[in-house]
Amino acid sequence: MTDLLTLLVQQSVNGVYLGCLYVMVALGLTLIYGVLNQINFAHADFVTVGAFAALFTATRFGTKVLGLPDTGAYLLSMVAALGAGALLGLAINAAVFAPLRERGDELRPLIATIGVSVLLENFQLWLLGPIPYQFDSPFSLETIRIGRIFFTAQSVLVVVAAALAIVALYAFMKFTFLGKALRAVAQDRETAGLMGINPNLLIALTIVIASALAGVGGALLGPVLVLTPFAGATVIVKAFAIVIIGGFGNMQGTIIAGLLVGVIEAFTVQYLGSGLIDLVVFVLLLVMLVVRPTGLIAERKEENV
Amino acid sequence: MKRIIWSFALAAACAIAPLSAGAQERVIRIGVVMPISGPASYFGVMGREGIDLALEQFKAGVNGYRLQVQYEDSACSPLQATNTVKRLLDQFKPHIVIGEECSDASLAIAPILEQAKVVQLNAGSVTMKLTESGYKYVFRIFPNAEQQSLPLAKVAYEKLKARTAVILHEKTNAGNDNAEGFEKPFVAMGGKVLAKIDFGRDVNDFTAIATRIASLGKVDVLPTFALEGQTVRLSQALAQARIVKGGGGNAVQMGSIWLPYGYDQKAGQASEGYVRIVQFDPTENRKVVQDFIKAFRVKYGADKVPTHINAHAYDAILLIVEAVRRGATDTESIRDRFTKLKDVEVTTGKITFDAKGQNSDLSVVHFVETQKDLSWKGLNWQ
Amino acid sequence: MSARLVSLLIAILVLAALPWLLPTPYWRGILVLCAMNVLLALSLNLVLGYTGQLNLGQSAFFAIGAYVSTILVKTYAWNFWLASLAAVAAAGLLGLALAAFAVRLRGHYLAIASLGFAVITYQVLVNWEKVTEGVRGIYGILPPVASTTGLFYLVAGITLVVYVLIDNLMRSPVGDTLRAIREDEVSAASLGVNGALWKAFAFGLGAAIAGLAGCFYPGFVGTLVPDAFNIIESFTMMAMVIVGGMGTMIGPVIGAIVLTFLPEVLRDFGEFRLMIYGLALTLVVLFMPGGIVQAWRTLLRSR
Repeated sequence: MTDLLTLLVQQSVNGVYLGCLYVMVALGLTLIYGVLNQINFAHADFVTVGAFAALFTATRFGTKVLGLPDTGAYLLSMVAALGAGALLGLAINAAVFAPLRERGDELRPLIATIGVSVLLENFQLWLLGPIPYQFDSPFSLETIRIGRIFFTAQSVLVVVAAALAIVALYAFMKFTFLGKALRAVAQDRETAGLMGINPNLLIALTIVIASALAGVGGALLGPVLVLTPFAGATVIVKAFAIVIIGGFGNMQGTIIAGLLVGVIEAFTVQYLGSGLIDLVVFVLLLVMLVVRPTGLIAERKEENV
Repeated sequence: MKRIIWSFALAAACAIAPLSAGAQERVIRIGVVMPISGPASYFGVMGREGIDLALEQFKAGVNGYRLQVQYEDSACSPLQATNTVKRLLDQFKPHIVIGEECSDASLAIAPILEQAKVVQLNAGSVTMKLTESGYKYVFRIFPNAEQQSLPLAKVAYEKLKARTAVILHEKTNAGNDNAEGFEKPFVAMGGKVLAKIDFGRDVNDFTAIATRIASLGKVDVLPTFALEGQTVRLSQALAQARIVKGGGGNAVQMGSIWLPYGYDQKAGQASEGYVRIVQFDPTENRKVVQDFIKAFRVKYGADKVPTHINAHAYDAILLIVEAVRRGATDTESIRDRFTKLKDVEVTTGKITFDAKGQNSDLSVVHFVETQKDLSWKGLNWQ
Repeated sequence: MSARLVSLLIAILVLAALPWLLPTPYWRGILVLCAMNVLLALSLNLVLGYTGQLNLGQSAFFAIGAYVSTILVKTYAWNFWLASLAAVAAAGLLGLALAAFAVRLRGHYLAIASLGFAVITYQVLVNWEKVTEGVRGIYGILPPVASTTGLFYLVAGITLVVYVLIDNLMRSPVGDTLRAIREDEVSAASLGVNGALWKAFAFGLGAAIAGLAGCFYPGFVGTLVPDAFNIIESFTMMAMVIVGGMGTMIGPVIGAIVLTFLPEVLRDFGEFRLMIYGLALTLVVLFMPGGIVQAWRTLLRSR
């Protein structure tokens, strides 16, 4: 391979991997939006909590108490992160989304979750301190090389996990009764209610699934992020941009947008400068909104625009 | 409206109340302005540990004076820092203010303290402007950007025989100043800077940056100015891209006193060959250092090693204690004693202020290289 | 005398007395900050409360006001008032420009688009170093009046004028039109109202007022750095409007006062400060959906 080609391939690989990180965060956001038409601003903090839950499960419990090997402890920690995320989902639904749902406005849940985000971040700060935690998974220091192209084993894990999450969600939505019911609720809450579907339960379920996803995301991102109580907050605004570029509530769109943003970021670093990443991504966002306000993939539901 | 007026009146009462208390006691009042909440609390929380430890050690007082400290959370922001300094001046009437950590905030409070004629003792900002603006009440024990970057550039060119460099720095006041402080002398000596790569504090993944560096041709040194968390990720990415020695490459990553002891263990193999300046060195045998570490472990846990941020804050109190020992009783006499101090021994070295208030004694600053087993090897370069 | 005139007189008296009720430089500084925040909350309420446009990017216009006025004064030696006029115009025009395409968007799309605009503005401030000094910042900025009390009277006076103007505007047919658009844009359109035009008008006016607030900020702090305008500032403004009571005149004023003084009063709580702040914000939204104003009215009615 020529140098230039190697470089292009390498940056694309970097970009896809980065994109998968973003997808792991954005997927839950878009899932909630699709069913509930609400934004959970604290979503990224669930990622942080998931990362810490995983770290402490792996190092304090998995290897020390159970005597598991590193890989086993890390797998166990993913389960813990999933649980932590799900619990947070339950809590935020009970505390914020359920009480505010009746009033049907877009603004107050957003502000309330901003409050939750501030609370969570500073609670973790008080509990854990501001010094970055070192979270190395058994895969994060393993470099795989194919020719001159390199990537870490952790990045393979992230890509595989993102793909699995996507497939599982897709299958769940498409083939299970609950999934179908969820889609019905997303399309028309009242009619779905008349058909004997309890929308409240399903909305709770959606939030729990999305939050559990954020938790697992934390376990995967922990060994990648600079892990402080504010780690998740560094990706949340970009995750919103991705959700919008993909078309709010559209899962396929979110996935494509996430990968696109990741690749654009890698090439921005290469050719424009790493200080311009946010500028490029958000100009792209505004351009998208002008050119194609329904998102990358046209949707049947036009009422949001 | 009535309620609002009430709450204002109440607030005003709260504001005035502390003034009447404790007027008779002989105290040195020390205001500490640091980021205690929010992302920048990285500095403030560690600074507080160092100060609390020193206060405990001087609980009995110095020269008949008790040290009284009030912390204020300035969140690394000029607005918050100026607000909190005004609050301190109103309510606490400090003789001296320690702070801030972030350069913007330190610069923002300097004119206010200058006007109030209260000493500002800075232990964490690098910006040149702080001591170059002609303030009479500003003193800094932290090495400024030039003091940090110039020796790096010299060592890179003369000892490491480096001719090409890629400068990596966070996009902050401090990062910019350090990067420039390296670039100018390095280029003047005949070196070439292939790229200056900056990044926000919210960047987590450095693979794309490492890939870009690999595409720039032969790089000899990589001066890096970022906090520990990002530097760990950065070093790991550079190793994966086989740029630095730790990953089988040839380039040497260089750094300044930004990185605490223990960085090497966190970054692992990737940190092998890293050359950097250290000022606070926990392995140093000076008594003041070892005593500090011992006391720190008693207070905060046997497995903890203090960082340079802990140490600088601790030193700030040691320095005030020294001034009080020499007869300082208020802000003017503290200022006076500070200007006359010579080679005061503290954990981060020795302190002698120059005419601008900058610590000019850097005899303790030395170079170390990270070895294969992640230990430090001292290098005899000054 | 009408009731409105009486309340105006009372307001003037209270404003005049405030610096003497809080006679220390620190609290007077907080008063200046409070007046600026009231102005910002009023500007956002115009967009959010009266035309129902979810704008998460108000900090951008605050920033534009601050930077344009400061650069004109510092670099081009303009007179402060002339520079401020230009800054207000710049913020207003950029607001109109954003509105030109934002009026097509609704709800969360507009929210994220305006958020994106704020991020872009912030990034331009950071990266356009030749003009803005980037992260290095601009230092030694002087306020238009030297004393804190004077500055408070100035900003509070301007805020009061803006308040009266907006109040009158909302009582005029224009106010009815804006409210009609907020409630139901489609039926407003059927009555011959050009919704897009009026929404853009409100957006631009809101941006100009935020820019006006921005003119006073740099002189007050003395230092100007991009970090002062990160997106968190937009959320703070939004919180002020919501906590006080969106779509009412007095609500944002109360919200701004509460949220300026609350963090200061909480200072003694140290590291718990922001935890309490976050919790309080969530609880107010949950239990006072109409903000403090509505809660107060409900309380009065229940007696």
